[in-house]
Amino acid sequence: MPDAVQFIQSLVNGVGVGLIYGLVGIGFCVIYNASGIVNFAQGVFVMLGGMACEVLLRKFHLPLPIAFLIAVPFVALVGLLMEVLVVRPMWNRGSPLFAIILATLATQIMIERITILTVDEQPHTFQEFTLGGPLKIGAIAIPYQLFWIVGCGALMVGLLWLFFTRTRAGRALRACSQNREAAALLGIPVGAMLLLSFALSAALGAVAGILVTPMQAIAFNSGTPFGVSGFIAAIIGGFGNAAGALAGGILLGVLQAVAIVLLGAGFKNVAALTALLFVLFLFPSGLFAGLKPKAH
Amino acid sequence: MTSRLGAAVIAAALLSFVPGGAVQAQETYKIGAALGLTGYAAASDRAWRDGQMLAIEAINAKGGLLGKKIEYIGEDNRSEPQEAVVVYRKMMSNDKVNIFASGCVSAGNFAAAGAVIRSETPMVLCSILPPRPEEQKWAFSILPPPRFEMEARYGWLKANSQVRKIGIMHDPTPYAQLMKDVAVKTAQDSGFEVVAVETYKPDDVDMSVQIGRINAAGGGAIIKMGQGGSTVTVAKNIKQLGLDTMILMASLDDGVPLKAAGEVLGERFMFVAPPVQIPSSIPDGAFRKAADTFLTAWREKYGDRDPNAGARGWDSITVIATAVELAKSYNGPAVRDALEKLPPIQGAFAKFNFTATQHVGITENPYVVGVLRDGRFQVK
Repeated sequence: MPDAVQFIQSLVNGVGVGLIYGLVGIGFCVIYNASGIVNFAQGVFVMLGGMACEVLLRKFHLPLPIAFLIAVPFVALVGLLMEVLVVRPMWNRGSPLFAIILATLATQIMIERITILTVDEQPHTFQEFTLGGPLKIGAIAIPYQLFWIVGCGALMVGLLWLFFTRTRAGRALRACSQNREAAALLGIPVGAMLLLSFALSAALGAVAGILVTPMQAIAFNSGTPFGVSGFIAAIIGGFGNAAGALAGGILLGVLQAVAIVLLGAGFKNVAALTALLFVLFLFPSGLFAGLKPKAH
Repeated sequence: MTSRLGAAVIAAALLSFVPGGAVQAQETYKIGAALGLTGYAAASDRAWRDGQMLAIEAINAKGGLLGKKIEYIGEDNRSEPQEAVVVYRKMMSNDKVNIFASGCVSAGNFAAAGAVIRSETPMVLCSILPPRPEEQKWAFSILPPPRFEMEARYGWLKANSQVRKIGIMHDPTPYAQLMKDVAVKTAQDSGFEVVAVETYKPDDVDMSVQIGRINAAGGGAIIKMGQGGSTVTVAKNIKQLGLDTMILMASLDDGVPLKAAGEVLGERFMFVAPPVQIPSSIPDGAFRKAADTFLTAWREKYGDRDPNAGARGWDSITVIATAVELAKSYNGPAVRDALEKLPPIQGAFAKFNFTATQHVGITENPYVVGVLRDGRFQVK
């Protein structure tokens, strides 16, 4: 049996990883709300964010804030291009949703190959935003980067909330999420909203990637595990529900950490998938379905 | 006249459809390689391939093998066994390769081995040998036996540290599993107690919990089996947990993740290195000459890129070329027999001593324990 310190430490680690899953999960929700599309390339935005920032730091020796400010719009631009070149043509031709979803998966593979060709196949990382650490509270260690993840995560959720509730574009996006046909009849440019959702979702993924890269190594194929875990987080939280996805991510991260402590690392994914099945059977709309705001 | 013209046109059309490969099959010696160009093995297999291609360029520049140019056919198995079976079949039935010189995805080479031996095609592999004796008959490994890695790590740890309790972390690949078994089996005789054995997946984003379990069990060093970015993640996690005395000893790997991990943990991070990865450690003589020949070609084309897997790829082609010349034949069974009768070959990575009972060519431990010091790899 693990002792209390080990258990608490694993919870801390689980929250850190879970927050990243949650941010990826929010990215899934933003596109799903605007279009009904599950973008299976969501994880690749995380990889691109981390990779773009690392390249800017390593090759161009830019300060981190500048690298951040370039990397996020760059990945948002990739999201825009994905919408314009892959999703929009299929959407306009009335392709079934599953075909569009498969196309996003193909896009992920293509972006991974382009990353190998333009950067390389190697794992990369960069230093924590704040050097030193970790912060020790008794025997519990909290890495400084975790504070950045929590802080930036909270800031992004706050900004998203403001965007969705206080701006016309945000309200229009929410209207699309509730009824696209009615939104179109009311004069909301649904196509433009789809474009916006891809850019926003890609930017969210990029921020998650930049936050997590100092804690691990990121390579061309790192997007898939983030995508899978973010997808599970979004389902646990209630697909389309941003706050729920964040909570679902934290729950998933903690659950995986506890599974490793109690049962061993081999049970990490068993625990995650069991939780997914449990939620799908008992709470088909997700654990936090009630948190979803209504458009006014 | 018209019918004659028509017949000529038809004949010309038919001739133009004679597959180029059929003509080429008689003109080139085809080496096929199933490679993890994407997926977890991408870094090592790309370098393995690039080393092979350098060696082939050098041989072709001298006129080829027994008068034939070597043609290289590399296929991406995406580091997945299922994909490996597909690309092996493609290379056997469509490309009609003469021999395989595949990359480091052990599970992929294992999955395809049955079909490969039925076609009587020898395999010279970057990975460990497939498990069944009938498959091993046709397979030859360029990789040192896993116990060499463990001997190097245990040897250094015992001679240079007070650590006697260790934790093992390994991924699910056959090579890492095999090395884990060796590590557990030989620990006691080497004077170590294994306090925890933890698993991870190469793409896991965090391994803090596994590291915490090793630390809680009293482990003072982590012996890690597995390549790639996971080594960097483990190093970062050790630092984030504030484990200021924990030692991390990593597997044979490409220089990029080793350097990144070394930058995180300093000299508490060590790794198993072949001499070619730390060229200053190579003694003068035949070994240095072989390594310098490779390193000159490698650096000319790839600059300061890590030479570890590239050297093994280069050596795989040297071994094949020597066997074909010894067999005086391109025939699969003849080349297989010749591989068992090769004289000792000094490669850029190590010395190879293949015999009828020894299909793992490296019989003397080539490894040193390396460390990142002043931004360069050096012997610890």
